[in-house]
Amino acid sequence: MSNTDDIRWVAQVAVFGDKNAFDKLTCKYQSSIRRFFLNLTMGDSPLSDDLAQETFIKAYLNITSFKGISGFSTWLYRIAYNVFYDSARAQKHYDDIDEQAIDNQHHTLSEFSAEKMDINKAIKILRKEEQTAVLLFYMEDKTHKEIAKIMNCPLGTVKTHILKGKEKLTVYLTKAGYGNN
Amino acid sequence: METTNANKMLKDFFSEQKLEIADNGFSKRVMRKLPEQTDRSWIVWVFAAIGTAISLYLGINAGIIEQIMLLFKHVSIYYLVGGVFCFPLLGTIGFYLTQNKNLQII
Repeated sequence: MSNTDDIRWVAQVAVFGDKNAFDKLTCKYQSSIRRFFLNLTMGDSPLSDDLAQETFIKAYLNITSFKGISGFSTWLYRIAYNVFYDSARAQKHYDDIDEQAIDNQHHTLSEFSAEKMDINKAIKILRKEEQTAVLLFYMEDKTHKEIAKIMNCPLGTVKTHILKGKEKLTVYLTKAGYGNN
Repeated sequence: METTNANKMLKDFFSEQKLEIADNGFSKRVMRKLPEQTDRSWIVWVFAAIGTAISLYLGINAGIIEQIMLLFKHVSIYYLVGGVFCFPLLGTIGFYLTQNKNLQII
């Protein structure tokens, strides 16, 4: 299924309100969007499903604002990013990951073992903007430019987030013995 | 060199952790929650009607329709009947061919 299919389905939804076409888009992107939320919410599956559902509903309601300049996937991630940060602001479920805690965690790798390597533990050491940028870059295979569009920030800032995230994760994973097996 | 190694390590790490999440009814739940939207198919009919009207107007003005009617006058009735009967025949063949193709794909 190519980007041409995406454009065709988007046109069907925008012009006719065709729900079957939107179903095809949902089926195509549900896995990546839910995985993105699952990683951002540190594995909270019900919350990530709720956020993914909200993302798709918002996409359906605002589909006429999709101009096709960037890909549909990038546009969808942009909505997902906004949904997540709106939810984070509302629920303050980021309270437990304040900067001090991140720094402490970053410098003290206590009972970590390579066998228990868990992405949530690794991601937690990053700041929230770094988490998003790193996840989009390494997990969702987005380019720097696409990430800049999704996060609505300059390209240089995205590169900095990814670089800092990479440095922190490299130190963390190396200390944890990852890649030595 | 170090950067390349770090990149490779992170790429390996994230690709190991990359899950493909099964739908498990998620799409259906989304579809159920979608609000009803007004039917906008009338747009197509309006444009089709405008297009037909413009074509007819230009056709009549330029004498194209007249020429076509004259052409039909000179064509034998058997050709016309044969041509008309070709459509259902070709349609049926086409339908069975696409059906067979679909069955093979499944």
